[in-house]
This record gives sequence, structure tokens and C-alpha cells, in this order.
Amino acid sequence: MMYVSGTGRAMYQTLLNFFRPVVTEGPRSEGSRAVRYRASFALVHNEHGEEACIGCKLCEKICPSDVIDVAAGGKIVSEATGKKRATCDDFTLNLQACLFCELCVQVCPTDAIVMLRVQEEPSYSREGLVLTMDKLYANEQNKPLAWGTGSKLMAMQDPKKGQPPKVKKPKAVVEKPVTEKPITEEGGT
Amino acid sequence: MTTRPNPHLDIDNYDADADLMALNMGPQHPSTHGVMRIKLFLDGEVIIKAVPYPGYLHRGVEKLCEKLTFVQIFPIVDKHDYVAPMTNEQAMAVAFERTLGIEVPRRARYLRTILAELTRISSHLLWLGTFTLDIGGTIGGGASMMMYTFRERELILDCFEMLTGSRFHYNTHCVGGNRHEIPDGWVAVVKSIVATMKLRVPEYEQLCTGNEIFNMRSQGVGVISRDLALELGLSGPNLRASGVDHDLRRDQPFHAYDEVDVQVAVAQGGDCFARYQVRIAEFYESIRIVESLIDNIPEGPLSSQRPVKSTLAVKVKTGCHYHGIETPRGELGTYIIGGGDNKSASPYRLKIVPPSLHAMSALPYALVGHTVSDVVAILGSLDPIMGEVDR
Repeated sequence: MMYVSGTGRAMYQTLLNFFRPVVTEGPRSEGSRAVRYRASFALVHNEHGEEACIGCKLCEKICPSDVIDVAAGGKIVSEATGKKRATCDDFTLNLQACLFCELCVQVCPTDAIVMLRVQEEPSYSREGLVLTMDKLYANEQNKPLAWGTGSKLMAMQDPKKGQPPKVKKPKAVVEKPVTEKPITEEGGT
Repeated sequence: MTTRPNPHLDIDNYDADADLMALNMGPQHPSTHGVMRIKLFLDGEVIIKAVPYPGYLHRGVEKLCEKLTFVQIFPIVDKHDYVAPMTNEQAMAVAFERTLGIEVPRRARYLRTILAELTRISSHLLWLGTFTLDIGGTIGGGASMMMYTFRERELILDCFEMLTGSRFHYNTHCVGGNRHEIPDGWVAVVKSIVATMKLRVPEYEQLCTGNEIFNMRSQGVGVISRDLALELGLSGPNLRASGVDHDLRRDQPFHAYDEVDVQVAVAQGGDCFARYQVRIAEFYESIRIVESLIDNIPEGPLSSQRPVKSTLAVKVKTGCHYHGIETPRGELGTYIIGGGDNKSASPYRLKIVPPSLHAMSALPYALVGHTVSDVVAILGSLDPIMGEVDR
């Protein structure tokens, strides 16, 4: 009797496995990855639809394995805001030596560089592992972005988190005798 | 064990009737925990002399650290002890913080303690799996135990991934605290891991401790006496298995260990079985520590320093500083010589003192007189990680 029930249970497991989804993308599909999972990179646009990178080179300086190369561009007048802003001419990230340490994401002042939730596709050549600016902006469109951005990572480490904001001491107001300015006609139009 | 002269320091004058055979074990041997070569001089099947040759995994990390700044060193040190990367970062963080006199918020210290203990569990799980595999044929062909332990280790790595976004190279510590805030549901995941481990560790013990083949292959094998252990500078479970009651978690508390009652596991035998006993007892102790802390994580900031924006954020004064913490393998020390001037952002010299190197130095003493089949058992029980030895 034991044999029959044991065989039955084993066949039931086999039946379950028969209907399980086939693994297509690596050992674990994207859905089962943690929310903070980080792999590969993308450059993003800001809320006005402009390229968010301002070419400040902070990521280039902090990278431990020195894989990021940034060429700063000139200043332009933003069409959306009407203010002057810096731009980036060229941005290269060499994945061959990247440690995926997330330091470049953390230091970015404009949240321009973020990480992806999927890995970069394997390549047959070394050039395929170099993420050029075009590839990085294409990644923003085509691949799911990771959770972390510069401002979110900064907010998590804020040493004053959870404390009430500092209230500035109200300066002792010295009541000055209010002297009304004489209205002159010159001030007008 | 036959009584022989102990000629392992004077091999040229050994006058055995039989010819000695030199046998190279490794560097590609699967049980060398990395790449290490042991040169064995054999009389028949009995080892007369053993010489370990490390250096096959040398990556020049210490020299690299002289180029990098203190901010950039954290992602690099993950790669030393690749079985327990979290404690490598913690050793570096504690060393920098103590040198600079930086206070760490209580929330970060609690989180670090929980992470360290979970890392200890995961590291010992991998050790237990590979040790039973090394002994081979003991428990269901040797591989069953490894399957069980890797199943549980996967839970812990998933839990780390949930917190930091990475399974192995976390970069989650920084000078002054931690980088990643605890996400929603993480505490529940840790609790479920602890509950699972509470059920599973007695199972492992049942599989191994009472097993007659396991006992025969581990008891009385590779005995390291108390004096020899102290002389070689062993630390961690290897030292405690030789009867020395020494644990930095209790003796020099770091993180939040001063708020926890750490009960140090000590065994007297000094053989492979004693080292196994100590590590099994450390499972229970780690589970207990995590359980006592996980409900009481205090609120507050996670870091006492402003988030890093530049590579020059941390600067160490001139002078020599040494600080060590207790990792799953023993005392991982960091020796820093500050830069030339008081404003240098990268160390003049950074030396890492790995516990695995000391464990490996016990091999020439522990192997002599045993047979070739005992080499993997002794090597496995010492648990050296070659990435840490060679750096």
C-alpha cells in the first residue's frame, strides 16, 4: 500500500512540474528578483524630457575601478524651464571591470544615472560590453529600471532622518519706527 | 597512528627505509577551498611532511587600496573572503570608524550585528556542506548534506539581496553607518529564516553527530593542541576548538555586541570533530542573537555622517592603527597607516590580517602522521578561504 501511495505522490509532483513555466531568462525571472536588485546601467531623461546628465563628472571621480568616462558639454538654455543648464557630450561606461557598487548612482546630483533590474546581454566582442551614451539611453526605454536613484539613496543615509527639522531661533525683532517712504513720481512709470 | 620522528622541518636527513614520494595536491584540487597547492612527502600513504603554497589567488588588493580613497575601498574588500563578504566590509568600517573616532547610530549597529550573525550562519552552512562533501561517502554519498545547507544558504542570500540589491558584493556599509535602509517586510523575512534554521540545525546534527563513519573520520584527526593553536595565532572556531575561550564579540565588543550576552562555544578536543562541534554551537548562538535583536531595532538615522558625495569625504590622520573584529573565520584585522599629511584621503599602507592565513599555517603540524585521505578532512575542518589568504 505504501508503494502505491508513494508512487502516486511522485507522479503528482511530476505532473506539477509538467505545467510549470519554462525558464527562459537566466535562473531567475525578473519577477522574482528583489525590488532593489541592481545590474547594468541606464541614463534617464528628467521630467521635462531633457537628458538629465549635466556632465559634472562626480561619478567618474568616485568610481573605484575607473570605468566611467564623461565628456562635459557646453551650457545651453533649457527650453522647458528657460534657465541655463550644463550638458554632457559623451558618456561611456565599461562593464568589463564594473563592480556594480552603486556609488555612481549615489553621488549623481540629478538622478541621471540609474541601474537596471536586468543584466546586460552577453557579447561576443569586448566592444559589446562598453555602454556608450546611445546604449545607455536605449536602456532607459527598453529595460526595467531599478529602484535606486541618487536622491533616494541619499535620503536613506541622511543623519538627520527622523528628527524634527531644526527650528531657527526667531531673531529678536527690533521694532523700528515705521517711516513711510515718500512716494515719488520718479518711481512710477 | 604510528609513532614516527617528526622530521617535517628537517626533511633532508630523514632516514626512512622506504623512498619518500612527493605528491602535489592542488592547486586545482576541488577540496582546497580556492586554489592552493600542498606539497606532500609520503612514506607509503602516511604523510611525513606537508608544505602549503599559497599565492595562486593573489590580486594585489593591499596595493590597490593605497591608490583608492577610504570611500572607494568598501566595494573592493567584498572580494577577500567571498564566503562571508558582509563581515569584510564591517571590519573595514569598524577600523576606519575607531581610527577617526566616529560614532555609529544605534540603529546601524543593530543592523550590522544582525547582518554579521546571518553571515556567520551562511558561512558555516557552506562550511558544513563542503566539509561533509570532503569527508565523502559519509552521509548519502556526501552530497546530500551539501544540498540541504545550500538550500538554507539561499534563503539568507535572498534576504541580503532584498536589503542591499546584491547577492554577494553588497557595498552596504560606509564610514559612520549603513547605506541601505531596512525595506518593508525584511524583518519578517529574517524571522522566517531564523525559524527555519531553528528546525534545520538539529537535523544537520542528527545527520552528522551520531553517524559512525563521520565520527571515525573526524575524531582524533588533525589534532591541534592548545599551545600550538596559541603559538600559530589561530582565531575563531579553530582556536576555540582547541580549548581557548577567546571571542572578540565578547572580549572587545564591536557593533551592538555589548548589548547582547554572547555565550562563547568552546570545545576541548582540538581535532576535526571539536571544530565541527564549535561551529554547530555557533549556529545556535547566532540564531539566538538574531532573535534577540530583530524585534528591538531602534528607530533613528542609519548613518552619523553625511552621505558621501566626493571621494575625499573621509580622511585619516597620520599614524598606525590596528583594529580587528570577529568574522565567521576568526579575527579579521585591519592595519592602517594614515597618509603623509593629516588630510590624506587614502591610506599610506593598508594591511589586512586574515584569519585563514593563520589557519593554513597549522597544516604542516596537523597533517603529519595522517594518511592522504585525511588531508581533505583536516583542510576542510580548518575552513581557510584562499581569497582571503592571498588577497
